[in-house]
Amino acid sequence: MATTMSRPVTAAAAPRSRTMHARSRAQKAVVNLVLLLIGAMFVVPLLWVLLASVNADAGLSVSWPGHPSLDNFKAVLDEETTFRPMRNGLLLCGSAAVLTLVASTLAAYPLSRYDTRYRKPFLLTILFSTGLPITAIMVPVYGLFVQINLVDTRIGTVLFLATTGLPFGIWLMKNFMDGVPVSLEEAAWTDGASSLQALRFVVLPLMWPGLAVVAIFTFIGMWGNFFVPFVLLLSPDKLPASVSIYTFFSQYGQVAYGQLAAYSLIYALPVVLLYLLLSRKLGGAFTLGGAVKG
Amino acid sequence: MQRKIFLLAAAAAVAATTLTGCGGSSSPGKAAAQSGQGGGTTGTIKIAYQRFGENRIMDNFLAGVKTEYEAANPGSKVELDPIVASENDYYTKLALMLKSSKTSPDLVYEDTFLINSDIKAGYLKPLDSYLSSWDQWSQFEESAKGAAKGQDGKTYGVPDGTDTRALWYSKDILKKAGIPVPWQPKTWDDVLTAARAVKAKVPGVTPFNIYSSKAAGEASTMQGFEMLLYGTGGTLYDDASKKWVVGSPHFVDSLKFVKTVFDEKLGPDAQDATDAQLSDKIQQQWLPNGKLAIALDGSWITGSWLPTGGKPWPQWSEALGQTPMPTQKGQAPGRISLSGGWTWAISAKSDHADAAWKFIQAAQTEKNAAKYAVAASQIAVRKDVAADASYTAANSKAPVFSEVVAVTKYRPAYPEYPQISNQIQVAMESVMTGQSSPEDAAKAYDESVKGIVGDDGTTTQ
Amino acid sequence: MSVAHPRADASQSRRAVARALPLAPATLLLLVFLAGPIVWSVYGAFTNTALSGAGAANSHFIGLDNFHKAFDSSAFRNSVVLTLVFTFLSAIVGQNLVGLCLALLMRAGSKVVRTLVGAFVVGAWVIPEVVAGYIWYAFLGKDGSLNAFFDSVGLGHQALLFSHPIVAVSIANIWRGTAFSMLVYSAALSEVPRELEEAAEVDGASGARRLWSVTLPLIRRSVTTNLMLITLQTLSVFGLIYTMTKGGPGTKSQTLPLYMYEQAFSFGQLGYGTALALVMLVVGAVFSLVYLRVLKTEI
Repeated sequence: MATTMSRPVTAAAAPRSRTMHARSRAQKAVVNLVLLLIGAMFVVPLLWVLLASVNADAGLSVSWPGHPSLDNFKAVLDEETTFRPMRNGLLLCGSAAVLTLVASTLAAYPLSRYDTRYRKPFLLTILFSTGLPITAIMVPVYGLFVQINLVDTRIGTVLFLATTGLPFGIWLMKNFMDGVPVSLEEAAWTDGASSLQALRFVVLPLMWPGLAVVAIFTFIGMWGNFFVPFVLLLSPDKLPASVSIYTFFSQYGQVAYGQLAAYSLIYALPVVLLYLLLSRKLGGAFTLGGAVKG
Repeated sequence: MQRKIFLLAAAAAVAATTLTGCGGSSSPGKAAAQSGQGGGTTGTIKIAYQRFGENRIMDNFLAGVKTEYEAANPGSKVELDPIVASENDYYTKLALMLKSSKTSPDLVYEDTFLINSDIKAGYLKPLDSYLSSWDQWSQFEESAKGAAKGQDGKTYGVPDGTDTRALWYSKDILKKAGIPVPWQPKTWDDVLTAARAVKAKVPGVTPFNIYSSKAAGEASTMQGFEMLLYGTGGTLYDDASKKWVVGSPHFVDSLKFVKTVFDEKLGPDAQDATDAQLSDKIQQQWLPNGKLAIALDGSWITGSWLPTGGKPWPQWSEALGQTPMPTQKGQAPGRISLSGGWTWAISAKSDHADAAWKFIQAAQTEKNAAKYAVAASQIAVRKDVAADASYTAANSKAPVFSEVVAVTKYRPAYPEYPQISNQIQVAMESVMTGQSSPEDAAKAYDESVKGIVGDDGTTTQ
Repeated sequence: MSVAHPRADASQSRRAVARALPLAPATLLLLVFLAGPIVWSVYGAFTNTALSGAGAANSHFIGLDNFHKAFDSSAFRNSVVLTLVFTFLSAIVGQNLVGLCLALLMRAGSKVVRTLVGAFVVGAWVIPEVVAGYIWYAFLGKDGSLNAFFDSVGLGHQALLFSHPIVAVSIANIWRGTAFSMLVYSAALSEVPRELEEAAEVDGASGARRLWSVTLPLIRRSVTTNLMLITLQTLSVFGLIYTMTKGGPGTKSQTLPLYMYEQAFSFGQLGYGTALALVMLVVGAVFSLVYLRVLKTEI
């Protein structure tokens, strides 16, 4: 792991010699090569999806499409199979992810900053509940939803999805918040800022990378969740994209692999875009930090 | 202080619950349903059925019946609620919905595989009083009438079609192996002889497939084991004593057939045979590409080869022949088949049972039943449909599957059946892989069955 | 709490409430939507309740029978062992180390490469689980692309899905889950002050040594959190394994979630399935406590 030290040269490192420069450039090339190799290992299995999506008679084995075509995409790009479920998914998972993000940020703050008596039991409870397979509790959840008239409502599904994201969300958020030194807020406190103001204006700006991770993680967890919306929603026109993937299977086991692959690519798109958007926060953080320090 | 937080939280929880409770809308169909009078024939009936796959055959069919029904019964409404899911998930959701009168549909589409669990749970309404005065019921095949019969002897569902199983074979490969086509095996040995001939004379081809692994699931039990067992004169469940059969020599015979197939390498190699996607391989690669000579499989596999299927293959009807699976030694009736299929049932919690029954009647006129059987490539369970010109025309490419309806059997799909079926798969796989002898595997099966239903739930035949 | 000065006490408790207030939304949601169902589930594990069949009509309390049944069952013991192997191979070793390597390398890589590789890794994460299963089936299967590649370079066939299915599904899970570890470590590393590492470099510490004694201790909390979260996630992986092997051949890759699903939803034995879920909960809790203890992380 000797290569880890080479990085964009910051102001602090500027007065180094030319040989150091040359060495770090060579190191960087090696790093890029290794990264690309690992990246290749991740992308090679994906070839099946990519090839099958443009192959009108795709099977389960990888084969070069005889006549590449966009027929599979044309077949899946309709209101009922793709557009409506995608909109529903964005609405359900988007709202739920925002809710989780806000609630877990708020919750993480006192858990990270104050040493109170409820802190440890609260965290341990949260921790244990993260291990519970949600599938196993869906039956009583459905019962509860029937009791309080939330079955087949979007708001109910959003609230429940948000709740399932909370244990992980709080843990992650608290962890990243712990990484922000308290000393910075103390200055704000002495200036008379409330704790929420300190959170908003001092802590959060310093933990953007963490927030980005929690946001992506929470959203992906919900985006891929099939069972929760499936159980809690009844009307087909409210179901999200994770459910409509079953359109490509049939009762007797035949699978339309080409269309499944095309649909998967479309399905993955929003999250990859979200990542690309937020990765600037992840990757950009230290260049930014370096610039400020310089 | 801790208490304060919790009191606060609890108070807020109550407030939130009441708020959302008021704001939460119950579905429109239900509201209408609640305004209807109990058992009445007017109001809205809700219909739940599975939608798995892109085909909209059931949706289109029901939409047509809905139009007819609403026109014939002014003031009545029908709400179609397709459930997009695989079979297990469909059942989970259906069971949840049926549990509560707030969410229960009126009419449900139930697989004969699982209907008995819902009968036993009290989710469904016995239909005997309706059936006794229904002039169409006599058109149904006797075996099909039993498809949705509970252990209490009452009938809970009206079947709308079925599927059957038989041998598919590649005409080309059998000819190369020197077997006269059309091939008509009379005994198990005839099947093995043909497979041996293929193995000897046509290299690079798997002679015979019989599903035998746990990964293939119910296909192993039904297309595989039960096609053998019910051709020996044996049975899984004794209807007279209402007990599961153990210690059966027929059970051992059936496993011996599996052993022969795999010992002599007449079947797929172990790696393919235990493959989780074996049925896909067979339907989408092996049969279309001429890599499999004989397949013991279902009537529905042509679905893959339709222009809309996973592997369009319009030439299948020339390339493949079909023949019934023979009984063990050719004993009467000489051939055997197993049937699954789906039925229409009425929820026990329905406020509109009479209306739901009227809808079943509307869907099961001869014309509609034939229309559905043709559209969904179903095997007819009604005598008049089987004789219908549109149906016979549609089935002319593989008539064997309709012919075997006369000898077909339904599974003893009682609530314990899924577990028993799993034990059958375990027995088959252990014989297939050579881990157990047929005798030992049968013994282990007997022990497991006793564990599942208790000693007093079993009998020797 | 001190009771010596009532006024001080009052203001102190007011402050405590104010401090606890941000916890309210999360607590509220957790209480309403999770606490109740969990309590019900715990009760359900001690009954013979079923999704359908007789156990749905009238379920009753059966004490520890479900747990006795589980611990007497060889299928259950097999699934616990497989779950531990799967979790160890794919989460603790695989995702964790690959994720850390990626995060470290990405700090040093150029922006284009970083973005590209990051998108591949995240892409693997967001492909639907069943499709990820098919992808790896298509890759490792008998007629899969890996064997096609081996053929072309004259290597023998591999049959990982058949001979060592638990290894095959572990590899697939590393592929699918590494993105999360990569993100967590990237975020954590972005907060490590460069000066500390550079000072160590100037002192002549080797790369591995710097990593071990400077960088890792600084992100120890993230290591613990990451290990806990990926362990808990991996413990409940279902769709991936189900698509690739259905738990087979035989039961050679039937981990606890697959066993639970079979019992609860294929066989409809909800009570027994819930008891298995509780066992999973305990396994997860034990892992978490061990991490906290071993990594000496205060919560």
